[in-house]
Amino acid sequence: MSEFATFFTNTLSLAVPLVLAGFGGLLSERSGVMNIALEGKLLVGACAAAVVGALTGNPYLGMVAALVASTVLSLAHAELTQRYRMDHIVAGMALNLIAIGATNYVSKLEQFSQTLSGVVRVPQAVLASIIVVLIAVVMAVILRGRGGLHLWAVGEDPVKARLVGLNPVAIRYLALLGTGLFCGLGGTWIMANASGFTDGMTAGRGFIALAALVLVGWRPLPLLAACLVFGAVQSLQLVFQGVPIMGTVWPSEVWAAMPYAVTLLALAGFAGSTKPPAGLGVQ
Amino acid sequence: MSHIDLRHITKRFGSFTAIENVDFRAEKGRIHALVGENGAGKTTLMRVLFGALQPDEGEVHIGSEAVRLQSSSDAIARGIGMVNQHDSVIPALPAWRNLILGAEDGPWLNQAAVIERAEALAKPLGFEFDWTAPAATMSPGATQKLEILKLLWRNAETMILDEPTAMLSPADAEGLYGTLRQLAEGGKTIIVVTHRLPEVLEGCDEVTVLRGGKLIESRPVAGLTAPQLAEAIVGRSVEAPELTPPNLGEENLVVENLTLGHSLRDVSFSLRAGELVGLAGVDGNGQRELLRSIMGVLRPDRGTIRLQGLNVTKASTRARLGAGLRLIAEDRYQEAMIASWPLVENAALGQHLRPPFARNGRRDLAATRVAAQAMAERFRTKFVSLDQPIGGLSGGNQQRFIAGRALADGGGVVLAFQPARGLDLAGIDDVYGALRAHTRAGGCALVVSFDLDELLAHCDRIITISHGELRVPAPEQARDREAIGRMMLGEEA
Repeated sequence: MSEFATFFTNTLSLAVPLVLAGFGGLLSERSGVMNIALEGKLLVGACAAAVVGALTGNPYLGMVAALVASTVLSLAHAELTQRYRMDHIVAGMALNLIAIGATNYVSKLEQFSQTLSGVVRVPQAVLASIIVVLIAVVMAVILRGRGGLHLWAVGEDPVKARLVGLNPVAIRYLALLGTGLFCGLGGTWIMANASGFTDGMTAGRGFIALAALVLVGWRPLPLLAACLVFGAVQSLQLVFQGVPIMGTVWPSEVWAAMPYAVTLLALAGFAGSTKPPAGLGVQ
Repeated sequence: MSHIDLRHITKRFGSFTAIENVDFRAEKGRIHALVGENGAGKTTLMRVLFGALQPDEGEVHIGSEAVRLQSSSDAIARGIGMVNQHDSVIPALPAWRNLILGAEDGPWLNQAAVIERAEALAKPLGFEFDWTAPAATMSPGATQKLEILKLLWRNAETMILDEPTAMLSPADAEGLYGTLRQLAEGGKTIIVVTHRLPEVLEGCDEVTVLRGGKLIESRPVAGLTAPQLAEAIVGRSVEAPELTPPNLGEENLVVENLTLGHSLRDVSFSLRAGELVGLAGVDGNGQRELLRSIMGVLRPDRGTIRLQGLNVTKASTRARLGAGLRLIAEDRYQEAMIASWPLVENAALGQHLRPPFARNGRRDLAATRVAAQAMAERFRTKFVSLDQPIGGLSGGNQQRFIAGRALADGGGVVLAFQPARGLDLAGIDDVYGALRAHTRAGGCALVVSFDLDELLAHCDRIITISHGELRVPAPEQARDREAIGRMMLGEEA
């Protein structure tokens, strides 16, 4: 394969978890629930896919486990913010900590640490097809469907949405269910491209996806584009690591830090210039 | 046979009886006004008709059929629609999406088909919309029109409008009643809840008066006079305030060439000691920016502000408060009080460093209590204890307390933004009465209101603002409702 083709496939592969987490975040935040827990949801998804896949030897069961685990965490998010009216940031933080703690614990259990090396993977073509269809359907619903209109309405103004007969709490539960499924798929994808589960292996992808969401003003098509750009930045390191530029080989840490630095710069440049849903974080 | 027939409706909330044994009838083809003071039970009665509340006793008949409305969806299915006091239009969504929100005809939206049907509904009424522009760009008048179209979209036969003209200019309000008349002639039943009596007398066919949850009378509007109607509402005879000419003194507030972005353009005016001046205008034409600039919250690009002869253009808000400037703010919760704090603490807000609230740098709690008690009694605020959180009072009583605070130490310059909002007739009289007393004692006041009739009834003179330009009516038009109404829209008087 030519260098460019490698770069291109790497970009797509690295962008997928960002796109999935980004769309999960889009559903949640458009419904009015601030979501800093995308990272945690990806992480439990990846861990569940690894553990169940390895224990059963069936990667599809691993995928189902990932969907279930992320969705359970996401529905807990709905419970905390909608039923118990907890501050959205605090709830998200708590869920992230639970995700880190739980996955660390599970991956160190003796009975698992043996099997975790024998990772089984869902074939990428299968996963990719599921993802493409899912994104297309969700995009259509958001842009042209009744569901998208309701999602937008409750995220902008839950009180007015109630006046026209919508049920904001029910819509937010559904939206967070969607977030869970997207993050579960994201976790599965990450595992399908890794040699095994390691602690914190999602490496901030959930937060980068959240940054992309903020950058594009919570709009689906630009979100897709932004995630691809972030994917491209991540794959730069695979191309340029160890390759001399202007006569010197740059330390690999520079390339590894690139995605985070670009996120930071982009956020600094765009901060405040995009308009969040008016009801974001409002009970 | 009445299309809408509510019989012997009683609704209790705990031990409180909101409405008791009330009958209400409305015919097709007629505009029916429902009037009464705050707490008279108007909204409760309409929420019963709209299915949002279930009555404890009584029957609801629609089109001569006894019905049981368990929810608003039941009422909507029976052809009843309601436009609430606060609009339900979501600014970020385009008009066509707002129109169908909650009443879509399938899981997929067909923009072209929606706009086609919407145009068919809008055209006979003379409405024009940019259907794809965000609703945020629409004027209050256009928003109100969209609300009416939302009811038509849901095939409403009976339309309930709660205070529909509260945010409209006189011209828009007149246009609204034209539309309602047209809808009534087309066979709809129109019910308007309002506190503006001229609207009842000029725009409606029938009127029902509630007082203290009881039916006072229900009759045709023809032959009714404003004082008769006011007396029925309040329960005692109400006299229009007599406007004694002010005893003018020094210029206490002088604003010259004030300019702020596109919000204020070369605004110049002055307030003299002894006068109560009304600032008429449609919401969002620079009133907020003007008051905030005078308070020192916004920094104008150009111009000067003089307070009691001192140039305070660059002075801090605290210095301006010290020079006797006071504000009755528009949004109580955001700008005027801390809801969870007790009355006594709210009494000292903004003045907590000055006597009587503080002495020698220390707070004087005893004096603060005395001052708070006086503020509360000034407008008969109903409260249990000075130590109760102000958020627990009704909106009207909060407003009474805040007006009492602004007027506590006479002589100053008072700016008031919609000071009578949310008050009933007695409360409106209280607040304007106090502003008049304040000015007659040598103070001066500028009152912003979107209700021109309210200003005409109470102010010594009226100035207008439109698109940030302030205009003073010519002397011969000083009390000419039509001319001032045109100036509010930026047209030639």
